[in-house]
Amino acid sequence: MTTLLQREPAPHPLESASDLTLADRAADGDVRAFEILVRRYGPLMRVYASRVLGSNDEMDDVVQESFITAWQQLPTLDNGAAVKSWLMRIVSRKSVDRVRARRQHVDIDLTDAPAPAQHSPHRLAEAGSQTEALTRALADLPEDQRRCWTLRELAECSYGDIAEELELPVSTVRGLLARARKTLLHEMEEWR
Amino acid sequence: MISSDELSGHTFEELSDYLDRGRTPADPSIDSSPECQTALSGMQRLRRTHRALLRRDVQRESEREESWVSSILQHINLEARAGRDIPISHPSPTARLSVTEGAVRGILRAAGDNVPGIIVGRCRLDGDVANLGAPITVRVDATVMEGENIPALADQLREALYSALHQHTELSVAAVDITIRDLYQSAAPRRRK
Repeated sequence: MTTLLQREPAPHPLESASDLTLADRAADGDVRAFEILVRRYGPLMRVYASRVLGSNDEMDDVVQESFITAWQQLPTLDNGAAVKSWLMRIVSRKSVDRVRARRQHVDIDLTDAPAPAQHSPHRLAEAGSQTEALTRALADLPEDQRRCWTLRELAECSYGDIAEELELPVSTVRGLLARARKTLLHEMEEWR
Repeated sequence: MISSDELSGHTFEELSDYLDRGRTPADPSIDSSPECQTALSGMQRLRRTHRALLRRDVQRESEREESWVSSILQHINLEARAGRDIPISHPSPTARLSVTEGAVRGILRAAGDNVPGIIVGRCRLDGDVANLGAPITVRVDATVMEGENIPALADQLREALYSALHQHTELSVAAVDITIRDLYQSAAPRRRK
């Protein structure tokens, strides 16, 4: 019976359909609509995950887990038009879970801690311009500042959303964001 | 380098906040301070640089081979959307046939997708679908292409939905309610491989 869902023809310009339409259809079980959402926001989610994780190794897993969760929970999403920030918050949570799990592992196995992000091959390959300077500076930010910054600048979350997501008072979020900007700006000035 | 005493009495945090509010309402004590302006333009440069970096990274991820997309689609659970069972009568008294609500929604979407100029969104079957003969109201959201005649398209869609339901199910459809939620612009040229 589910094959009926998979065999749907797609003669329509669904690719250009609004987030609301796609989220509603996906919530109803339309795999094709879900696939378009995956293509539309998957690349941004992959960038997001790699920023939080500090490497690309676990990015595929985290993004896949995020979309599986999204598929399960789409019927509970009240406003399909907000599917982008909803997806970004899922990938943010999954990425942080990964980082925490990794840290627990490090606590147990102190002798063999994974290489910090700044030594990953991905980063060593970077050289040269302002954007590369920023990439380095971002990777070196303290974790709480980086989470605030990525939620704000990649996921485009409001201060209130970030506070809720990180379970912090809005005033703390404001402070962390300002500190992140100050540090990044300082690093970029140095580089100029 | 950037400390609060050099920012005409403002803290960096206040300026960061001001930028995020889109510099509204305008604060003359910030707008007229050269130190604040320097800090703000620095933050804006940071944002510009970040957007360029982000565009580049997202572009790179978009151009990747597609195995990650198919892997995701293989792992989602289609049964999760089956919904209620809708009986279909059969001459044999021992045979029990049914179609899932999810499949019927799929039939509705497919029928809607064959009507040009309109995209079906959410589909609902209201009523006791498990009981053959119970009156069912079909509720469908749709968006219409800009410039199309909305009532004519809605009629066309309603007819397509009726006939698909009639062909594939024995639901006794009391009404098909169509809500046009939005308009969409005609598709950009396809960029798919």
